[in-house]
Amino acid sequence: MLLYAVVPADATAPEKRGLTGQRLEIIRGTLAAVIVEESSERVSATGADSRAFGEIVCDLATTTSMLPIRFPTLLATRSAVLAELQANEAAWRGRLTELDGFSEVVIRAQWTESDPGLDSASHSSGTTYLMNRAAVIHRRDASAAEISELVGAWARETKVLSSQQGVRIACLVSHADVPQLKEAVATWQLGGDDRQAVVSGPWPIFSFVIDQEAGSR
Amino acid sequence: MTDAPERWSDNQVALVDLIDRVIGGGVVISGDVVLGVAGVDLVYLGLRLVLAPAHEVEPSIALGRRSA
Repeated sequence: MLLYAVVPADATAPEKRGLTGQRLEIIRGTLAAVIVEESSERVSATGADSRAFGEIVCDLATTTSMLPIRFPTLLATRSAVLAELQANEAAWRGRLTELDGFSEVVIRAQWTESDPGLDSASHSSGTTYLMNRAAVIHRRDASAAEISELVGAWARETKVLSSQQGVRIACLVSHADVPQLKEAVATWQLGGDDRQAVVSGPWPIFSFVIDQEAGSR
Repeated sequence: MTDAPERWSDNQVALVDLIDRVIGGGVVISGDVVLGVAGVDLVYLGLRLVLAPAHEVEPSIALGRRSA
């Protein structure tokens, strides 16, 4: 069974088909439920399947609060899904309640100035290379802090994501605040010719399914 | 000289972010397995993502063949 999302126990069963063409089902526990697709076909994390899965999850998120499940998560039987549900439903229910009405947006920001640490051939010594790498990392940390502060008024939580270029930050935002956050980022971008920022989303809360603060305590 | 970073289009970013979050975020189902011999625990495995009997996800195993 391919798992899609954790939803409230009383969520309406989706009238949709899944990645392999089977009808989506809902397996209910006492406190939460899981949307699944029973499929005999194998699934893999190819770009096309990942995109299709993501689109299905995004579509489901328009009808119910949810915690998306990482793709591809497969369990062999309905009873295995129920066992996972029973083991985790109290925590999942708590997080669902906390994050009802929230979605995720991702901010990518970068600067057009040179990034010397990425071009090792231009350096005369290993020490210079390492110093440049450190400078790049410090710049990214400072930029992440700047963006986090910028969106602090709207983002309940932020999380720095891995990025090849610039910084990428996921923000947990209430549905109502998404336009203001996007506007703030657009305004910030206008504050410097070297700044580029793109906001994607709103998405289901992929990056915030676990309470990070509670998890670190 | 360092080239300026490539400028992103909104559609490119949205697609990359969606795929990245689908496979890099979300609830992780996890399991633990301890392999032991004669009552002695030898190996601990923390498993993530796929919990299924091998013969159901890899038919060749059911036929007694090892996959490459």
